[in-house]
Amino acid sequence: MEISVLLNGTQTTTSVEPHETLLIVLRRLGLVSVRFGSDTGETGSSAVLVDGRLVNTDVMLAAQVDGHEVTTVEAFNAAELDPIQTSFMVTGAIQSGYSTPAMILGTRALIDRNPNPSEADVRDMLSGILDRETGHVKPVEALTRAAAVMRGDQTEPFEPVILEPMTNGSTPVDVDPSDQPPDVSAAVPRIVPSPDVPEMSVVGKPEIKVDAVKLVKGNAAFVDDFEDRNLLTAKVLRSPHAHANILDIDDSKARALPGVHAVLHYKNTPRVKYASGGQSYPNPHPHDQVSFDDKVRHVGDRVAAVAAETAEIAEEAIRLIEVTYEPLPAIFDERDAMLPNAPVIHDEPDTEEIFDRERNIVHHIGANRGDVDRAMAGADHVFEHTFRVHQVQPTPIEPHISVAWLDADERMVVRTATQVPFHTRRMLAPLIGRAVKDVRIIKPRIGGGFGAKQEMLIEDIAAHLAIATRRPVKLELTREEEFVSSRTRHPQTLTFKTGVDSDGMLVAQDLYVIGNTGPYGSHAYTVQTVTGLRGLSSYNCPNKRFNCDVVYTNIPVAGAYRGYGAPQAEFALEAHMEDIAHQLGLDPIDFKRRNWVKLGDELDIAPHLGERAVAEDELDEYPRVTSCGVEECMAQASRAIHWHRHADPEWRQPADRPNIRRGIGFAFCMHGTAIPFLDMGGCSMKLNDDGSFNMLIGATDLGTGADTVIGQIAAEVLGVKLDDIKVYSSDTDITPFDTGAYASSTTYISGTAAKVAAEAIRARIKERAAKMLGIDEPCTIELRDNKAWAADGRSVSLEDIALDSLHLEDQEQIMGTGSYVSPDCPPPFAAQFAEIEVDIETGQVTVVKLVMAVDCGVAINPMTASGQVEGGMTQALGYAHCEEYAFDDEGRMVNAELGPYKIYRADEMPDLEVYLVQTMEDSGPFGAKAVAEIPKDGVAPAIRNAILNATGVAINDLPFTPERVWQALRADS
Amino acid sequence: MSSIVAYHRPNSLGEAVELLAESGRSILAGGTAIVPEARSRRADGVELVDLQALELDSISESAGRLTLGAMVRLGDLATDDRSGQLINDLSRRELPSAMRNQATVGGTVASASSDSVLIAGLLVHDAEVEFHDGRTSPLSQVLADGTGGAIIVAVSIDPTGTGSIVATGRTPADLPIVAAIARSTDGGTRVAITGASSTVVEVDPAEPSAGLEPPSDFRGSSGYRVELVDTLTQRVLKAVS
Repeated sequence: MEISVLLNGTQTTTSVEPHETLLIVLRRLGLVSVRFGSDTGETGSSAVLVDGRLVNTDVMLAAQVDGHEVTTVEAFNAAELDPIQTSFMVTGAIQSGYSTPAMILGTRALIDRNPNPSEADVRDMLSGILDRETGHVKPVEALTRAAAVMRGDQTEPFEPVILEPMTNGSTPVDVDPSDQPPDVSAAVPRIVPSPDVPEMSVVGKPEIKVDAVKLVKGNAAFVDDFEDRNLLTAKVLRSPHAHANILDIDDSKARALPGVHAVLHYKNTPRVKYASGGQSYPNPHPHDQVSFDDKVRHVGDRVAAVAAETAEIAEEAIRLIEVTYEPLPAIFDERDAMLPNAPVIHDEPDTEEIFDRERNIVHHIGANRGDVDRAMAGADHVFEHTFRVHQVQPTPIEPHISVAWLDADERMVVRTATQVPFHTRRMLAPLIGRAVKDVRIIKPRIGGGFGAKQEMLIEDIAAHLAIATRRPVKLELTREEEFVSSRTRHPQTLTFKTGVDSDGMLVAQDLYVIGNTGPYGSHAYTVQTVTGLRGLSSYNCPNKRFNCDVVYTNIPVAGAYRGYGAPQAEFALEAHMEDIAHQLGLDPIDFKRRNWVKLGDELDIAPHLGERAVAEDELDEYPRVTSCGVEECMAQASRAIHWHRHADPEWRQPADRPNIRRGIGFAFCMHGTAIPFLDMGGCSMKLNDDGSFNMLIGATDLGTGADTVIGQIAAEVLGVKLDDIKVYSSDTDITPFDTGAYASSTTYISGTAAKVAAEAIRARIKERAAKMLGIDEPCTIELRDNKAWAADGRSVSLEDIALDSLHLEDQEQIMGTGSYVSPDCPPPFAAQFAEIEVDIETGQVTVVKLVMAVDCGVAINPMTASGQVEGGMTQALGYAHCEEYAFDDEGRMVNAELGPYKIYRADEMPDLEVYLVQTMEDSGPFGAKAVAEIPKDGVAPAIRNAILNATGVAINDLPFTPERVWQALRADS
Repeated sequence: MSSIVAYHRPNSLGEAVELLAESGRSILAGGTAIVPEARSRRADGVELVDLQALELDSISESAGRLTLGAMVRLGDLATDDRSGQLINDLSRRELPSAMRNQATVGGTVASASSDSVLIAGLLVHDAEVEFHDGRTSPLSQVLADGTGGAIIVAVSIDPTGTGSIVATGRTPADLPIVAAIARSTDGGTRVAITGASSTVVEVDPAEPSAGLEPPSDFRGSSGYRVELVDTLTQRVLKAVS
């Protein structure tokens, strides 16, 4: 049928099929700002204006808009940016930018209707567009600011607010209850400066992201935004059983279907063993996966894949594949996996290096310092608590998507949403029978990853099908597939046992963890290693021991998720320490402070865990804490949350609301910055005719702002503006290697690589400048304001140096390269507070406010850094409060949609407040440490401890959903 | 091969009735529910009949009652001054913004979702459902018996009175596990409950959980939901008293 639409102001007639959604048709017409996030309208990433109203095109048939007006963000893409687009850029409201066009359209519709919207109006509009990245703080600010600009109101520049330090940097202070935090918008970064940090030109400034323009305009930027001639669509047949042998597959009917070009499964695909976790060479064993197996191990496991002319044909072909299953008993709880009668999940002989195959134990991990048993026996007090943490999902709004094709040289090219392009290249090559040199991975913009894309998840399927069909093949997961076949946070059962002396000092700490990796190892070893590391690093203790059994079960596969084992450990640790303090009659903060790691203290368990672990007797010296701003964090955050109220019974039990109890909880947080001796990044730069630079980096910007931050580092070195650095990242044919976006490493590792490269190029520029200025000592030259300056005040521009070097005399390409691997892992620190209310009759917990003060060293870009904390805290809030996988008895997920799974919307958020406390970390680029993952660590224990403060009830299982809390309150009473 | 094989947009109610008389055809109102459901359906051959051209999207007052056209968007109902604060509020709570701009009153009623706070609000506002053939039925009866294939053309309510909602959910804007919605008028107080039966139900305010056997799911067990019904009803009665 034909429809006629007033599309972005032009009457447009086009043919559509009855089943086609408006999303499909608009994208076919080239309007790529309209993006897929789900089939159910839940994400809002596909929203456009129809007759001026924001609607979701994934749940609207194209036929429905026949005769209507449709507006996409492309309608506003003049040369000059629209005020709304500008507001989103300057406020840092864009991270990945995947859903930014929808937000901009919603903003326009709201302002057209109401030029002076309240914050509630703004949040209500944003309720329809899920945002997994920003915590909604900065989009709310962007929208409010846009309305003000469009009304003609005077607006102040959106800049960080600089706060007075409250401490001398190391000594605790008592916060005066009458002292008030600054009254500024929640979105404004609050920076507490350090006297150790020098003033800089580009570093430390809230620079607009280098990719902001293309993101606010909705230009082609993401995997699916580029047109591929003769593209086929792939679909995957997934297992309905949690555990079953595949006795046979009959694909004859599927193959006979017109439009089907390939059907792949275990009978026609090479059996090459691999592990899908995106990790450095050699990938940890066991390599327990193949592209298509004759056994399925969870509901949603791969069975077969089809490539066809259209998605509809591929789906029909999937339905026509006949599979004969032999269902097997299944196990889901990690505590059952090791029982004698448990089914063996990996009984195939070709998976090697499973620690105890018969008991489903994939890894046993241990680490030790001192003599825990002896110290525990001699301790004045011994405490033991067990905790259970559940399964959750990163849920990036852009699902996994890959497009694979053979290029003109018959090399395999995969454009894919990945955090680990270089690992993917190395891991994919053997699966498709090619050399690494014949595989190219391109990472364009990515719509969020959070660890889910630290995996070679679907690239092999797309590549196999591209080889089989010799045509480009696209595979994009549905939202349901994202839930059941992507990667999740590991559920764990954690038992802490701690010995304490009569002075309240720790003498022994023992942590035993059972980790649930689902049916495949993926990141099983390393995630649980981080659980041990984070669980036993935060507090000084002379005797420490970590033991962990990681087990196979039949739940969807666990893997990497931002925080990577730390959120589980920090929840248990901070709850355990809180309970010890209460049982000893000590103030929890005093008790924790007495024991927590401080400047100069040893990081004593770290060397004994991980891929480069060494035993105690092999180690010469433990690494130490070289920067720590935790006391300033404590002061700022305690003031912001009004901590003194936690001890006020009248506040905790408001007289006018008899069913409500209020509480405030605290969690001490310490994370890591990259993996020492392992994470490596590279950078190359060259000088252009006009004095600008091209920068090539392997680092993988997922929306975090990595390209911007790394560009700022180079710009600072070279004395130019950020706009003079043109950053291109993550193409395995073009850019240098990088391990990828994980382990809180990008700013620290890749940023240092960029600094090294920029310093190399700077040295050569100085030599040329010295020659041009007739100076003997190039070291006296300084670069600033796009010029090279001699000590006597003379200068030559970088443009003149470039023209001279490229065209005029002793021609050369001035360029520099750098790579960096660190021997250090400097910890960022943070103080996390949560204020909550508990309805003691229903168990409903309402989170009122979250405050986090973070010592991340020097925030290279305070806008992106504070955005990372806001977004991270919001994800952590979901982990603590509402998100969970729910299954039926057969292992089928019953809530594989974002609503039932439940991620927080803009109109229900607690207040968020972020403080960036500067310290100078000398090992980092311009003093930087990590910031991306630490916001994931403290929210769950802070909420848990706030519930304890409010009700006196300690709850050791996540999440704090109403019935769980209600049951705990009843049990206590 | 596709699950939606034809799209129809009748220009009159009669034409719509005629189209829907054929088997394998379903009503398309806003589309938020039926489009994803139909597209993912494994069976072939669904034809959708879009009611957008039938001019069923107005709100009118008559004889003290408010008539909400079946194609009135929840986004419009959320801001309609005549509908009252409770209906405004429940329309907003029902769905997030973009979905609310698409979903309709008729589609919401036809869904008969046991979790719908808007249905509960309509119920306590003495809702009557009007069908294409001129029949009217109390909403409670439609929830129990279904529409029987008839086209809902409007839902009329008594907009007077004082209303309130008290709900328990995982988060403030979550679909409530259980919600109690009440409306008080000179004639008394009516209470409807979501999440405690196979449909939204009106209950006796004095014995709200009597006879209820709520289903259990991961968000709340049956026993917990019963406790919530009693607790939330007490609270909502207090709120409207």
